[in-house]
Amino acid sequence: MRADGLLAMLDRWGRYALPGAVLLFFVLLTLAPLRAPYLSGALPLLPALVVFQFSLATPERLPGPLLLVMGILLDLLLGGPGAPVGVSALGFVLIRAAVVNNRRYLVGVPFLFQWFGFCLLALGFVALVWFFTAFWTWTAIDPLPALMQNAVVIVIYPLLAPLLARVRARDPLNVPDASRGTARPGETTS
Amino acid sequence: MAIRDDFEIVASQVRTAVQRFALGLLMIAAFGAMLLGKADTVLVEHARVLALDLASPVLEAIARPVAAANRVIADLKEFASLREENARLREENVRLLAWQTAARRLENENERMRGLANFREGPEASFITARIVGDSVSAYVRGALLNVGRKAGVASGQAVVTGEGLAGRIAEVGENSARVLFVTDVNSRLPVLIERTRERAILAGDNSPKLRLSLLQSVAGVQRGDRIVTSGHGGSFPVGIPVGEVVETGEGSSVRVRPFADFSRLEFVRVVDYGVTGLVGGSGPAAPAAPPAGVRIR
Repeated sequence: MRADGLLAMLDRWGRYALPGAVLLFFVLLTLAPLRAPYLSGALPLLPALVVFQFSLATPERLPGPLLLVMGILLDLLLGGPGAPVGVSALGFVLIRAAVVNNRRYLVGVPFLFQWFGFCLLALGFVALVWFFTAFWTWTAIDPLPALMQNAVVIVIYPLLAPLLARVRARDPLNVPDASRGTARPGETTS
Repeated sequence: MAIRDDFEIVASQVRTAVQRFALGLLMIAAFGAMLLGKADTVLVEHARVLALDLASPVLEAIARPVAAANRVIADLKEFASLREENARLREENVRLLAWQTAARRLENENERMRGLANFREGPEASFITARIVGDSVSAYVRGALLNVGRKAGVASGQAVVTGEGLAGRIAEVGENSARVLFVTDVNSRLPVLIERTRERAILAGDNSPKLRLSLLQSVAGVQRGDRIVTSGHGGSFPVGIPVGEVVETGEGSSVRVRPFADFSRLEFVRVVDYGVTGLVGGSGPAAPAAPPAGVRIR
């Protein structure tokens, strides 16, 4: 009984810690010296993908303050003299808010809809980071590499999203038909 | 009792307010972090270094298998073109042997001339070999993380070289980690010489694979294929490290330079420790005292 209780507790803690741990992993992976030509350029956007994907099903396990810390860590690690520290945090928080407020269009809907939603949000995220970096350092930064990054991460999304959906505790695609399109935060069954 | 109830009511009201304005508060916090970073650059610098030091052991663990996998892929690619590669190398070897003879002869001659002219050499440079444990490459930055830091004698502003030529300079130093800013980064400005004409110029990066040569006296004197080397002006870099070669001498005074270092397959680099005397420029008797550790050369 006691072992069961302990296991259950571990299980619960594991479930709660998982999204944050996955996000931290992808923040660190940003710096991994992968030498794949396009992929390594797009790595800094993968944490945003993780935030989007986990906000779909379990936003309560990625609380705002955690996103703030992760975003600031990402900015600190990515470096760049004079680059704004905290712009990724702002982007993460906005992505989470956008997903939570638009669940009805994003959760329990066909995959293409989710993908389209991700395209829009990723573009917004890239635009935000580009704007703040250019504004903060007051230099005209070529937007093309940033757009390239965006294109690559959009192509990666269908490959990575199902994997993350497996990792995550509840899959919004398993929502019964009756509640499709009307699911509220944290709700998976009607 | 009533006080306690009141307290609970107020607490719950505060909680609802915080929840309602959570997004706003988080956004304000993010903006606050950005403003703080702009206002207090030293604090951000410390935070960056701390984050770097904490992340570098994890990154090193990730970097080794990734490097091994990359090497296997590179090996397989090379295996396919082994015959051509061999022929090319043999030819190159013959050419290099001729150069070696010339270099030996010149070195001897130089030595004798220096003896005659009573020439005093600059400070001797020593090297710190480092493994690249992280790429700091995004749409905005071109750099890398090294697994050596202040403990190994790395300091800000030191040159980072590969076998082929200059890679960049040290931008941030932690206890056991350091960040290199590549010469291709948009923030990189390097005083250089055109080897053939001995003309000074500034080599600037713009995040693209090619560098831009600016502040030239005359564009006409530059030819395609000219080698660009560090000039040593500014004192923190040794003289004559090869940087790249001119590949474009277009109109509109734009001279483009291809760096010798191959940034796509860097694994080990050497940090050039040029001694503190290099930083203050010259080792004459009037040279000021050595600056304290951590002085930044920008």
